[in-house]
Amino acid sequence: MTKAQFDDLIHAPARLRICGVLRQVEQMDFAVLRDTLDVSDATLSKHLKTLAEAGYVSLSKAASVSRSDARRLTWITLTRAGRNAFDAHLRALHEIAGIAD
Amino acid sequence: MENDFERRPSPYEAAASLRDLAADRHALANGVQVPKMLMAALGGVAAWWVAGAAAANPGENYEPPTSGWLGLVAALVIAHLIRRETGIRFRQMGLRAGLVAVAILVLCLALFSISLGLVSFGARWAVVLTSLCAFGMVTWLAGIAFRSALDQLRR
Repeated sequence: MTKAQFDDLIHAPARLRICGVLRQVEQMDFAVLRDTLDVSDATLSKHLKTLAEAGYVSLSKAASVSRSDARRLTWITLTRAGRNAFDAHLRALHEIAGIAD
Repeated sequence: MENDFERRPSPYEAAASLRDLAADRHALANGVQVPKMLMAALGGVAAWWVAGAAAANPGENYEPPTSGWLGLVAALVIAHLIRRETGIRFRQMGLRAGLVAVAILVLCLALFSISLGLVSFGARWAVVLTSLCAFGMVTWLAGIAFRSALDQLRR
């Protein structure tokens, strides 16, 4: 069982939401994550960069046949370290809120 | 600009954060559309595989068609396209979606067996009916499996 561990880097509201959505899936396209959270490209990119630097997310590019320009799909994955940190942070939030898991 | 939190949240703030996370999970599940064309493509692959029974020669000289492997490859390609179309690669599909996937396999095998039986009785034309049944049922069941996987995202 994951031990509760409050993580200041994850707890910033946008990053908490990013991790919360990514925790549900194996991988997600940048555009789907942006639309789900209703944030701008720049905001999402900034927080993903912070999470990637911490080793919590990884980004990979793939060619897109549906786009006429040279843009590529960006797939985002919550890494094992990211999943562990998020789970521990979630447990800490449950403890603070006084909610049993 | 958003600053990093340098203090622990209050119980009220922590509960609000947890509620926001739940709301995002619902928004994610609600925002994904079922790729109906690709569900129909899966139905098409099933119909094509069942229709292969019409070219078989049931009896002592029966040889299983090799179209099963091609069908499997086609299904994997469609699964990849579903991932590209929706922008999501699921971590887990859930028990219900798994059971529906098993039901699809059993249904296809049953319809293929029925088709072979019809061919052995000389009713080769009737394979059209089993193929149409495979198309309709697999398209419908694939949609159910996909929606079940989306429901899994809410938890």
